[in-house]
Amino acid sequence: MSPWLRLIVYLVAAPVVGGVLSGWDRRVSARMQSRRGPPILQPFYDVLKLWQKQNLANHPSQNYYVLFFFLLVVFTGALFFAGSDLLLVIFALTTASIFFVLGAYKASSPYSFIGAERELIQIMAYEPMVLLTAIGMYMVTKTFYIGGIANHGGLLVLALPGVFLGFVFALEIKFRKSPFDLSSSHHAHQELVRGITTEFSGRTLALIEVAHWYETVFLLGWVYLFFASSPVLGVVMALGVYVFVVLVDNVFARLKWQAALGSAWAVTAVLGFGNIVVLSLQR
Amino acid sequence: MRGLKQSPWILHYDASSCNGCDIETLACLTPIFDVERLGVLNTGNPKHADIFLVTGAVNEQSKAVIQNLYRQLPEPKVVVAVGACASSGGIFRECYNIFGGVDIVVPVDVYVPGCAARPEAIIDGVVKGLAVMEEKHAILAAVRDGLDKIIYARAEKAGALPIHAIRKVAGQTEAVLHGDDNFPALQQTLEELQKEFDKKYFFKAEVNGKVIGSVSAWLDGETVRVDGLAVHPYFEGAGVAGRLLAECEAAFRGVKRFETFIGNKSERQLKVLEEAGYKNFKTEVFTPKITWIHLRKELK
Repeated sequence: MSPWLRLIVYLVAAPVVGGVLSGWDRRVSARMQSRRGPPILQPFYDVLKLWQKQNLANHPSQNYYVLFFFLLVVFTGALFFAGSDLLLVIFALTTASIFFVLGAYKASSPYSFIGAERELIQIMAYEPMVLLTAIGMYMVTKTFYIGGIANHGGLLVLALPGVFLGFVFALEIKFRKSPFDLSSSHHAHQELVRGITTEFSGRTLALIEVAHWYETVFLLGWVYLFFASSPVLGVVMALGVYVFVVLVDNVFARLKWQAALGSAWAVTAVLGFGNIVVLSLQR
Repeated sequence: MRGLKQSPWILHYDASSCNGCDIETLACLTPIFDVERLGVLNTGNPKHADIFLVTGAVNEQSKAVIQNLYRQLPEPKVVVAVGACASSGGIFRECYNIFGGVDIVVPVDVYVPGCAARPEAIIDGVVKGLAVMEEKHAILAAVRDGLDKIIYARAEKAGALPIHAIRKVAGQTEAVLHGDDNFPALQQTLEELQKEFDKKYFFKAEVNGKVIGSVSAWLDGETVRVDGLAVHPYFEGAGVAGRLLAECEAAFRGVKRFETFIGNKSERQLKVLEEAGYKNFKTEVFTPKITWIHLRKELK
């Protein structure tokens, strides 16, 4: 498939796949709690509803930050699926997250502030591991270009088992799943009301939701990259990681931010950095 | 459009009383009743909620909370009063600290009977509320589509009722801004307003037959006194107020001086008036929390 074709398929299919995955997540979570759960298409109903609601904003400008967050998330995924530079992808993703945080700060409410602050802590927690993942992939394939990494002959995970596990750990934080749903939990009540998304409503909230769908697909695409030489295994593992994330979400309580940050960096140091040290010794 | 009825997010508030209905509401989330299968989410955030579910009677402390939460829900929204206390005050009705049911503070769309209300009844009430929400959405959509078709016209005495209502709505917003209920618009009865029609000219802005804004003006010697400028909060920022002021000026052609007054915290109104050419010339203390700002416009 040519990069342009992949790009278009991503732009069209990612929200559909991401939405279905999200609906499936809610369904499976409900089953794990011995409930029946909502229909698979529930996230689409939610977004359609939000689209028809009034958009309340403390400052109208807060919604523009979210618009940029959305555009940058889509852009990040587009870069990824077009086979661009992995480092560029990482920093585009970080920029997107920062816009989201800025939007929450702009909304000037205490809940939104603490949510934004915790989001920054979460970014701080997962970012080193994400960077090490890119470095690890470079060390094995000698390229930062995703096209090159995907066409590398062998299974990357065999050379990067530690990095892979560390990356899955970082995904837990990035998906804002328990035990790392500090900044905004998708479960009912919490002490922060709705954390970082508290002050967004209507279409802006719908955009945040759709951005998460794009993000989910893009991040699972990255998991696929570890198994790119065997496409079937790659898809199975990407979905497997998603199931794992949902399972962990349902069996863990939330951590305090100190524990979240500490554990993330410990995992990064031992699994991620350890793996890279081993790789560099082998050369 | 799909979606509106399939994803009711609920904000749940317990105003007072015995908490029985409160517990029954939470029971709806448990595996036996599992309201999430209907798309219901229990959100603690009014800005994300569609349905405001209140249990218990309203007392001195919960009154302001209910009003505040109600205002923070985005339109279209539905209020469901769950249980006897929320519907009418229930057995606490005669208590010295109880105002009564929820409907004395905010408009209620669905009443769920019971003491305590059964979870099945609560779910039924929420589903009924969805039909109301769809109706409200249709009305709002029709009004929104008519924004470019606003009609500005003289209002007659017979049409005092909607003007009275719009003044109350706008007055409530002002009262919240100032933290004081002593606004003339909130105190005025319909009869008093009808009497004003003998002396003053009334103008209204209308969309699809629904009054969304009004203003009154009368000639006092050399000066036209403008008061009662009110616009429905949903149409703020659409230029309705500015246009109503222009209507006043057009009606009193030849008069050189226009005067009006607003509360000291009504920044939006102040901005509109300043854009229309009004200038602050004196202030007057009305109550400890409200200071009137008097504005004047001189025509050349």
